Formats: sequence, C-alpha cells, structure tokens
Amino acid sequence: MPAANQSVRAVFGALLALALAAHPALAAPSGPPVRIGSTLALTGPLAATGLVHKIVGEIYVEQLNRKNGLLGRPVEWVLKDDQSRPDLARTLYEQLITVDKVDLIMGPYATANILSAMGVAQRYNKVLIHHTFGTPSLAKYEMQFPAGGLAGDPDNTIPRLVFDALAASAMPPKSVAVVTSKFPSVHFISLGAREAAKKRGLREVAFLEWDFGNRDFGPIAARLKDAKPDFVWVGGLGLEGNLLIDAMRKIDYMPPLHFHLFPAPGPLLKAPGGENALAATTFEEHPPFTDNPIAVEFIRLYHERGAKAGLPDTSVENQSAISFSSWQTLEAAVTGAKSIDDKAIAQWLRKNPVDAIVGRLRWDGPFNYIYGTDLYKVKQNQQGKWVVIWPKEFAASGAHLVTP
Amino acid sequence: MRGRALAAFAAAGMALSAVPFFGLPAFYESFLYLVFHWIVLAASWNILSGYSGYFSFGHGAFFGAGMYTTATLATKSGVPFLWTLPAAGIAAAAFGIALGAVVFRLPRLRGELFALLTLAVTFVLATIVLNTPVDGGPGLYLSAVPLPAIGPSPSSTFYLLGLALALATLWIAREIQRSRLGTGLFAIHDDEDVAEVLGVPTYRYKLAAFGLSCGLAGIAGGIQAMFISYVTVGETFSIAVPLNVVLMSVLGGSRHWFGPAVGAAVVTALLYAFTAGDYAVAGRAAVGLILILVILFLPEGIFGELIGALKRRRVSVTPAIGTADLPAPSAARPGKSEGQGQPLLEARGLSKAFRGVQALAEVDLEVRRGEILGLVGPNGSGKSTLINLVSGHFRPDSGRILFEGRDLAAMEAHRIARTGLARTYQIPRPFAHLSVLENVALPAMFGRDALPRAEAGHEARRWLAFTGLGAKATSLPGELNLHQRKFLELARALASRPSLLLLDEVFSGLTHAEIDDAIRLIRAIRAQGATIVFVEHVIRAVMELTDRIVVLSYGRVIAEGDPRAVMREPDVAAAYLGKPHA
Amino acid sequence: MALPSLTLLGQSLLSGIFIGALYGLLGLGLSLSWGMLRQINLAHFALAFLGAYLTYQLAGAGMDPLATLAVIVPCFFALGALMHWLLARFSVSAFNSLLVTFGLTAIIEALIQWIWTADFRRMESAYGEVKFRVGALYVALPELLTLAMALALSLAVWAWLRHTHTGKAMRAIAEDAPIAAAFGVNVRRLSLLLSGLSAAFAGVAGLALALSYTLAPGQIYAWLGVVFAAVMLGGLGNPLGPLVAGIVIGVSEALTMAFTTPAWAPLVSFSLLIVVLLARPGRI
Repeated sequence: MPAANQSVRAVFGALLALALAAHPALAAPSGPPVRIGSTLALTGPLAATGLVHKIVGEIYVEQLNRKNGLLGRPVEWVLKDDQSRPDLARTLYEQLITVDKVDLIMGPYATANILSAMGVAQRYNKVLIHHTFGTPSLAKYEMQFPAGGLAGDPDNTIPRLVFDALAASAMPPKSVAVVTSKFPSVHFISLGAREAAKKRGLREVAFLEWDFGNRDFGPIAARLKDAKPDFVWVGGLGLEGNLLIDAMRKIDYMPPLHFHLFPAPGPLLKAPGGENALAATTFEEHPPFTDNPIAVEFIRLYHERGAKAGLPDTSVENQSAISFSSWQTLEAAVTGAKSIDDKAIAQWLRKNPVDAIVGRLRWDGPFNYIYGTDLYKVKQNQQGKWVVIWPKEFAASGAHLVTP
Repeated sequence: MRGRALAAFAAAGMALSAVPFFGLPAFYESFLYLVFHWIVLAASWNILSGYSGYFSFGHGAFFGAGMYTTATLATKSGVPFLWTLPAAGIAAAAFGIALGAVVFRLPRLRGELFALLTLAVTFVLATIVLNTPVDGGPGLYLSAVPLPAIGPSPSSTFYLLGLALALATLWIAREIQRSRLGTGLFAIHDDEDVAEVLGVPTYRYKLAAFGLSCGLAGIAGGIQAMFISYVTVGETFSIAVPLNVVLMSVLGGSRHWFGPAVGAAVVTALLYAFTAGDYAVAGRAAVGLILILVILFLPEGIFGELIGALKRRRVSVTPAIGTADLPAPSAARPGKSEGQGQPLLEARGLSKAFRGVQALAEVDLEVRRGEILGLVGPNGSGKSTLINLVSGHFRPDSGRILFEGRDLAAMEAHRIARTGLARTYQIPRPFAHLSVLENVALPAMFGRDALPRAEAGHEARRWLAFTGLGAKATSLPGELNLHQRKFLELARALASRPSLLLLDEVFSGLTHAEIDDAIRLIRAIRAQGATIVFVEHVIRAVMELTDRIVVLSYGRVIAEGDPRAVMREPDVAAAYLGKPHA
Repeated sequence: MALPSLTLLGQSLLSGIFIGALYGLLGLGLSLSWGMLRQINLAHFALAFLGAYLTYQLAGAGMDPLATLAVIVPCFFALGALMHWLLARFSVSAFNSLLVTFGLTAIIEALIQWIWTADFRRMESAYGEVKFRVGALYVALPELLTLAMALALSLAVWAWLRHTHTGKAMRAIAEDAPIAAAFGVNVRRLSLLLSGLSAAFAGVAGLALALSYTLAPGQIYAWLGVVFAAVMLGGLGNPLGPLVAGIVIGVSEALTMAFTTPAWAPLVSFSLLIVVLLARPGRI
C-alpha cells in the first residue's frame, strides 16, 4: 500500500526532525524545553478530526523551534491519545500535570473531553486554551480561553448569521425545516435556529430530532420531501449531514437550500448532492483569509504534512485553522506575559486580544467569552470548493450565495 | 476462615486508604480510582452473570440508572452528593429487580435471549432518558455540586470512595460465592432445572443476585457521574460498559469472585500503557494482541488459572480420605419407621398433556411408607412424566399429589425438595462445573434439613463413601464413567435425606455386574427405612427389589399389586409384548 | 401535524426494509458461527469494515465495486478459515472467543487506521447514482443490491443447510459435534468451511457498507448493538433469522420516525422486541 510507505516515511521524517531539534547547533532556542501537554482523540470515533489537530500542533511546534521557541527556550509537545473518551482525557491531564509535570497545557478535541480537561485545569490552576468547545455555557472556569472563535451564545450568533445570509440572497426562504441530532453541543444551537426563524417570520414546516448515532435517515428525508421547506437547517454532527443528503438524493429530492452545523467538511464537499450546501467556518483558503502571510505559510505546510500523513483532503478550513489559532494564542500570551506562569498568562489574555489567522480573538467577557458576536462566516460548497459567501467583506472575490 | 478473610480485607483497606497521604501524584489516585471503578462493575456483573451464567448485556443500563440518579438528585434537587449514592444504588437495584421479577419467571429466557433482553432494555432506557426531562439532550453538568473532602484532594476523595466500594463489592461477591446463595447460583449455571428440583429457590436467588449486581453498578455509576462531572446519554449508555465488564470478567476468570478484579486491573492498566501520542495506533493493536495471547494460553482467565494450579497442587498433596474411616451412613430418615404400610404419597386423578398428547390420564396411585414400589410400563407410558410431576418439574393439568398430607401439585419444585422428596434422572444430570463432592453437598444444603455448608460436606462424603465414589470427591463429573455418574445421581438424591426416593431408571445402560452392585445399594438404602419408587425397564431388578408394582400404559394404570402376579396378567403382557422396550 | 402521506409511509417502509437488510447481511455470518460453532465473533464487524476499505481501495484503482468480490471473497474465506483454525487449535470456548475476537477487532481497527488513516473515506462509484422509480416511490441501486445480496446469501445458506448432504452434516455438528463426528461427519473440515463462509459474508457486507456509507475506523463499533440484537432475535444459527429480525427492527424504527419524533425510534423497536420476548419466549 502506498499509504503504508508514507507512514514509514512520516516516522522517518519525524525522527529526523527530532534529531535536528535536539541538535543545539542547528536550533536557535536553548535551555530546558518548555513542555506543553495535551491529549487528542487519536483513536476511537473522534479520531478523524483528532488527526487534523495533531498535524497542526506538530507543524506549529516545529515552526516555533525553528524560530526562537518560547521565551528563547525550545518547546516540547507531550501528546497523549485520549481514545475519544472523556474519562481518559481527565486522568491523562492529571498525568500530564502531576506526573509528567508539563509547564503548560493545551485543550483536547471536542466538548466532552475539553470539559474533562477543564475540571483538571481548574484544580491545578492551569491556563487551558482550547479550540473546539461547543457548549460555552458549561465553561465555568476563569482561566479557560476559547480560541475557536465561537461566541458565548452561539445559539444566537450562528442562527443570526445564517438567516442574515439567507435574507440577503436572491431567494430568501419563506419556510424552514429544522432537523437536528440530539447531540448536546449541536442541539441547543438548532433550538436557537428555531427561535431565530420564528422571530423573522419564517414558517416552520418541520422540526425533527434524532438520536445521535441514528443510521436510517430515509424517513427523515421522506418527511422533508413532504414538507417542502425552502430551507433546511441540519443540526448534524460529523457524517450525519452526509447521511441525510444521501437519503434525500435516494428519493430524488434536494431542498433548495440547506445549512449544516458541524459537518465533516471533506466528505460534505465531495458528496454528490453536497453542491450548494451551506456551513459555518472561520477560515477558508482564499482572500481575505490568505492575505495573511502566516496563513499562507501554514496552508503550504499543512498541504505537505496532510499529504504525507495520507489525508484524503489536505485543504485548510475551520478545524485546522482554529487549531492553529489556539497555538498562536498560546505563543502570543507567553510572549506577551514574558512568562510561562499560568496566572500571568491568564492576566495577559484577559487584557489583550490576539490576532490569529481566524481573526481577532478577545476574552474580555464573562468567563472569557464574548457574547453576541463571533468569528464565524457562512461558506458554501460551490463547484467542489468551499467559499465564504457571508458576511460580504469576507466573501471570496465575486462569490455570493448561489440559489438553484 | 471468615474472621481471617475479614482481617485481610480490613488490612488491605487500611493499607490502601493510606495511599493518598503519601503525596503521590494525583494521576495515580485517579488511575487507581478507575481501576476500582471497573472492579466494582466487573465484579458486580459477575455476581449474576459469572456465577449463575445469566449473561447480562445490560450492565450499562443499571450503571447508567445510577449515574442519572446521582446527577439528577445532585443538580436538580440539591441533594448532597454522598446522599445520592444510596439512592443511585437503590434506583438501579429496584430497576433490576423489577425487570428480573418479570424475566426470571419465564424459564425460556436464558442464554442469549437474556443477553438480548438486557441489551434491549439499555436502548430503551437510553431513549427514554434522552427524550424526557431527565436529560432531554443537553446532558447534566455536575461541576457546581460540592464534593465532600474525604481525602486531602478531590482525586484522593474519588480514590477513597472507589476503594471503599470496590472492597465492599469484592467482600459481597466473596461472601455470596461461599454462601448458600452462591452455591445455588453456581448450580443454576450448570443446570437450573435440576437445581430447582434439588431445593434451590432459583427464582429468588436469581432475583437477589440481580438486585445486588445492579445496585452495586448503580452506586459505581453515581460516583462516576461526579468523577466525569458531565453526564450525557451517548457516553453513559454506550456499548462500552457491557463489553468491558464481560471482557474483564472473562480475562480474569468468571468462576471466582476475585477473577473480575484481576481482569479489571489488567484491562485498565493496558489502557494507560499505550497512550503515547506517537504510538496510539500501534498501542491499540498491542492491547488487542495481548488480550488474544492471554486468553489463548490462560483459557480459564488469569486468576482462574492461578486458582486452578493451586488447587491441583493441594489435591496432589493431600490424599483422598479413605472411605473406610467414615462411619456407615445413618438411616435416610431415622425414626421414620413407624407407620409402616401407611400411605406416604397419594396421587389422585393426576392428568398431564403435552401439546395435545395425553401423557397421564386420571392416574390414582399410592406409595406406602417403607415399601419399594416399582413403576413399570413400555416407553411413553407416562412413568417419567409421573416422576416429573411429583418432583415438581412439571405442574399437573389436574389432580392432587398428597405427600405426608400436603398437596404438592401447586408447590414450586424447590419447596417439594424440602418436604423430603428426592429424585434421580435417567440420564444423569450432574452439575458439570462442580466437583463430585460439591454435587452431593448441594442437596444436603437445600434439602429438608438445610445443613450448613461444613456439615453438608461431611454428609456428602458419607454418601460418596456409601456409593463407592469416595476417591472421586474432587473430580469433575465429566471425569466419571456412566456407572459412576449413575451412582453420583443416587448419592445426590440420598444426601438430602429424603423420606421418599424417586429413582428413574438407575439400571439402564449398566452391565450385569454393575446392576448387581446397584441392587445391593438400593437394598441397603431401603434397610435404613427409606421409601422408594422406582421406574425400571430391567425386569430382573424389578422382580428382585420391589414389594409392589404399578403398571402404566398410555398414561393409565392398567395393573398393580404383587410383582409376580401382576406380570402374569394378560393386559400387562400385551402392553409389553405389543410394544417391546428398546 | 398533517397526516403523513402514503408516499412518506411507503418510502419509510422501504427505508426500513433496506436498513434491515444491511443488519441482516452484517448479522448472517455472526449468527452462523455463533449458532453452529459456538464462536461469538466480535471481529465480524471489523472484518466487514476491512472488506469495505478494500472495496474502496480496489474501486479507487479502477475496479468495478461488484467485481472486487472476486478478490475479497476468497481472501476473506481464507481469513475466516485461518481464524477458526486458531480458535480450534486452542479449543477456545464461546465466552473466550468473545475476548479473542475483541482483540482481533482492535488489531484490525489499528491496521485500517494505519493504512487509511482515521479520516473519512468515501467510495465513488457509478452505482451510487442509480435509482429506480416505482410509482411515487424511489429505490436506490446500492440499497437494492444490499437487499438482493442479503436475500440471496440467506436463502442460499438456508437451502444449503436444508437440502444438501454437507448442509445436513453441518446442522448435525451444530446439534452435537461429537455425535456428528461419530457418524462420520468431518467436523473439522466443515467447521473450517462455515467459518470461511462467515468471514466471506463479512466481506460481502463490507461491499454493502462501502456502497452506501462513508467509512471511518471508529464506525466499526457503531453497528454492534443493533446487529447483535437482530442476530439474537433471529435465532442463533438460523440463516433467515438475522434478515427477518433485522427488517422487523428496521421497519419498526423507520415507521416510528415517519410518524413521531425520530429520536423515539429505538424506544419503539426495542420495546417491541422486549414485548415479543416476554409474550413468546422464542424467536421470530
């Protein structure tokens, strides 16, 4: 298998990089390394996205060490596999802090595991910068810093964003169907979408909830076909949106417009029937996002590493970009605070914004969340590419919401 | 014995509860907490599923019931965390008992159907919790619930709670294994019908085991809810819990209370042995490979093999007790010789049909105190059905069975056994995983006298010596030949000291010499005052042994009286000649 | 809420039948090796996914997805026979087979992740786009293929067991292996055959998965619960059982989803299952 070959090469490359990093003459930073600990879902059901965060972290740490490290010291990333399990994430963070005695920690992937890590961070007064926490109302720790660009009230901001985009389109929908998984971090935003639609006077023709892990989307598709909505809000997580699209195509139906809350972007892009699908994002590979040279360099490296790791889709989009931004946040905070002391870092972050590739991150609201505004944009799958179409100032040149 | 074990448990508890005060990194406390957590789940699962073989795939449901009880009470009703734990245990136990009360009444819901049912219950419960205000979707968040400071730090508090519960669970599992309940459960594992007929109240025992098993899992769930502090349906009711407890129990050895604990510790340790980010995938394969190798080379489980090896060594050191040293067995029912000739058992109008076929029709029968009654007739004449009705294996469609003045017809089989009635099976049905000695001790524990375990052992040894099986006491029934297994049946029936013994074709399949042996044995039993009904095809034995015979044909009594006279009757001859036995 | 239309009803019914067919196809090999050889093969799901990934790989190299069976089926047959040889060599009990095959699942999962990464893979094939119209209803080719394969295999095994000499010998083994051996049945060879077949069926189920689903290694466990339920409900070793039980579960869930909140679906199908078990403690 070619992929196997690639892995061997990847291991080789990693060893080489390690050897280079350890060689004092070639690396600029010196002194004892700053050790940063985190876990990621490298195996188990969340591993597909876990891998993205691993690649981004490796790229970032490597870049750091190629420059000046952190405060002139080299950086070592201690990464463990939490197997997509919150109980494991919790104990592994304890291991990182109390046994491995890392200097700083970074968040794991996805809400439940971040929540587990947050509890540990709170007990040991560690700053926790994280990227993929979906339920801000549960973050009750003053030294946690979300770097994923989500507002404190995504159930308001995201539906507002989406319905604004729709309203400005050539074919503003008059009726809406809200279909959603009951997965916690998806469900409440979908309920927010219901509210928003009602406020704007849209007619709700269907509201359907399914159990996360549902396999048969045929009946849901058939009900949507019956309801004939102008617009479908799909509160799906990962592949659920794909399953629904597949099911709708099988019965020769596609709604004119459909938005997917947290899809697996690669598969949705390639799915037959995924054309014109809408989704939310903080970053895509086109201007104005690529006006930033750091982003350009990151995109180049990510393409390279992604291909080497055997990823089917190597473009930078939301997940990889917020992952990168969280590392930018860490670097900026340590550099700004001139210290790896957690209290100093937290203090600096609360006072200073960070300009990351996803935009300007701020933490001056309650529990470090900003309410009412976030960095999300609406993107659309146009001719096999994700392009941002709303708000206008972030839209790819000439791009606008395509309606059938 | 128990005192020493209690001291050992107390010492282990004391030593282990000192751990948090040594300033160990919190990770180790949390890790050990998780080990304890899985020990509780695996050992509690084992109480029903390992001991009795009722393989539950629904441990996640009871664990989850506990988790949601604690989460709900602590977050919505403001109940202090520790107080929610008994509630979690009670809720899970009540749920289990309610389920068991229905399921255990249906004798065919065993094996994989029980597994299926418990799995289905998990899905149903998960769906209900997800779609009702219990959760409703967003999950329950416990971080605002105050954690009592039992240990010097939160992780040590969890460690101590886990330790206490694990020790309690293991103690309970150990006590059960060594108690009447455990003996009954192990018998249910091998042959539930026989266990019931020998006096084990199988329904109540299963229910008790299930309730305890679920209750302990519920408490573990309550603690775990606080430990992970965010309870969601997806994580709680996943297939991981039932799968893990099964794997742990099998890996450690499910026939011993300590086996699951070993399995839980090994599996949890393996989980943490391969978490390095660079080798995550290889680590997963390594865990798989280790599990395979362990179970291929230690098929009884890690601890099961260890115990087995120890036992084998012990056996080879201590010689089997010489049967000559034992006193001759006392009369089966001493002091029951008065009232000779009075009816001991009376059947009145007994009928039973199977799927329309009338196996017994209006049978009247009388067994007199002290006699040997032969029950003969061609195949399918209803002899075995009669024994099965009297021993409670089946219920009659109509009619009464009076034994010492009590009606057995509506009585559960285990109660019948306690009235002093014992039977053997035509094809021996020993408990395959119990030693010969344990097989015989069981009816002594569950018969009329309900002897304590130690005395039952003595009693069993006596009857083994009596039947010439003394040297085989520690063997498993599978190691015996047919002749020995028949005698094991007999020893097992005798050990309950019955006043009425029902023997179902003890002679079939035996050689001439073996039949002579058996005849001698039955005479000896009779000499001690027992009343015997025996179903037989071997006419020589019938003629030599019986005082009276009853002939059945097509479910009806066609003749009864003196053996020689009856056998000469034309009806009887026709019944036999018309349909000669196999 | 307006009454659901007949189209909705029919389409949901079809959807339930098709997903049930997939449960049945996934469960067939599992049920046979469990019922007849007392081997509870958890690795069946991992094998099915391995088959799906191989289909994906071969189809990516230009092979027709259906033609990949010509490669996958013999390979999986050998794999299944090899696995049985291992289990028989160490005379692994039913309980222990659960553990061994769980270990095997972890190894196969790791293998898949090593070769294809944890990222999602989707096979692109011409079949995916084909659908037929029957009145107001639509039937998609991949689903029809799944149903056809499930039906064909289940019926073939049923006929094999009922009407052929080796099939009857196989049933004798399932009843009592030592007695069958005493009557001259070659237990070893037939057991290898059955295990090979079971694994080959996993390969076929893999094709069905690849035709309709996006693949990820973590998905291996997603099918476990419901397929186990179908297998046990259908009666162990009964070749038609998993398909019938799978369709019963699939249809009852689909109809629930058509009429009420879809999230209630498992409640209806599994309550139904419980009621069936309690009312008639036998099988469908």
